[in-house]
Amino acid sequence: MRMNKLFAGFSVLALSAMMLSGCGGPPPNKVHSKDDLKGKNVGVQLGTTGDTLAEDIENAKVEKYNKAADAVQALKQGKIDAVIVDLETAKSFVEKNNDIRVLDEEFADEEYAIAVKLDNQALQEELNGALKALTEDGTLQDIKANYEGDEQGQHPYQVKTNASRDKGKLTMATNAEFPPYESHDDNGSVVGFDVDMMNAVCDYLGYELHIDDMQFESVLPAVQSGKADVGVAGLSVTEDRQKNVLFTDNYAVTHQVIIVRKK
Amino acid sequence: MSLSESIRQNFIEGDRWRYLADGLKTTLFITVFAVMLGMVLGFLVAIIRSTYLRTKKLLIPDLICRLYLTVIRGTPVVVQLLIIYFVIFGSVQISKTLVAVIAFGVNSGAYVAEIVRGGIMSVDIGQLEAGRSLGLNYRQTMIHIVMPQAVKNVLPALCNECIVLLKETSVAGYIAINDLTRGGDIIRSITFAPFLPLLAVALIYLIVVVVLTKLVGILERRLAANDRR
Repeated sequence: MRMNKLFAGFSVLALSAMMLSGCGGPPPNKVHSKDDLKGKNVGVQLGTTGDTLAEDIENAKVEKYNKAADAVQALKQGKIDAVIVDLETAKSFVEKNNDIRVLDEEFADEEYAIAVKLDNQALQEELNGALKALTEDGTLQDIKANYEGDEQGQHPYQVKTNASRDKGKLTMATNAEFPPYESHDDNGSVVGFDVDMMNAVCDYLGYELHIDDMQFESVLPAVQSGKADVGVAGLSVTEDRQKNVLFTDNYAVTHQVIIVRKK
Repeated sequence: MSLSESIRQNFIEGDRWRYLADGLKTTLFITVFAVMLGMVLGFLVAIIRSTYLRTKKLLIPDLICRLYLTVIRGTPVVVQLLIIYFVIFGSVQISKTLVAVIAFGVNSGAYVAEIVRGGIMSVDIGQLEAGRSLGLNYRQTMIHIVMPQAVKNVLPALCNECIVLLKETSVAGYIAINDLTRGGDIIRSITFAPFLPLLAVALIYLIVVVVLTKLVGILERRLAANDRR
């Protein structure tokens, strides 16, 4: 008798859990412009420029996720009302999810650059030289075309097998959760614009590229502490960051956008 | 940068210490309620398991309990947390703190269950038999004779479980809960100075654990007051 009661109790628990996960869709979208963000739940990736922007929105409750993808997942399930993220990343999320869209309104332009340790001007200059040369010979433009525009996937960068590796290892700290700049491919290797660019830079300068994938908020501390030589993670140049690391010349210009549910 | 300057930058400027203070509140809230849920679940499962082992009754509940123990102890708590947040409560609007309480409580329950079962089984079977031959039924014997001795035996292990749980809640940041660890992470993400925020977070956890250990020590002494020395 008591055994049956207990069993029934467990079944009810299990059933209600199943029902909970099945019923009810996300609430209707209420964000149609930047102004609508006031007082809403806004998702961001911790430590990104979207995080900084969201903090400035009046009365908004900012939910800081470890990964932009988790913020997007929460948005789809109606746990938050909007996500602020970099344009290119937003596009790649929208491509894979047909129930979300990017609002036309944009935030101010920002520049991506490579971060190096504050006292390592030599490396900064070296990288600037490489970026300049690779822009002049069209390599960077090709890499860019491989990730955005009409010719995606048609210009993959081939690592030069015959390039010199005399200068030894160059460790790149990144957070491979940020497509198309860096993400994991089907085999689990880190790929993306930043990776191709750094491969080109290393081929040009004679380094051997070593990629260290970590949490986004650990990228700059890794550079500061010398655990990594460079931080390349779609890092926007901001005043706060410039106090702690040196930035090279910018290699991409982008801005933050708002993702919302379609309905 | 001098120490006083970095203290100012990390904690005082922009009232950043609030991230730690609010985080501590959240961490303590989640821990307290998760411990309560874990204890209830754990004792329930332990009683079912030990009853089955000693009397061969409650076979089906015992099977369910064993399934629960296998699944919960066999998977990492972060994964359980994410599954509860994104899968089980996927389209349900529910407070994240509640999700964390459920996840950590259910997780802790599995460990508490095995600790308490160990305590119950450690009480000599003669105690149970003595109780039964004095005319008490199984339930009365458990409540008045076995459990009081069992609980006293497992108190240090339960205290240990509370400490583990407190520290395990540091992964709550995965579902964007601003707990103590995440508070430190947020400060780090603003100031990019890893040293002080991490140290401060560690120190706060340590203080909480030391206080907790002291309290359990007092409780243990009180419970031991009528022991033979």
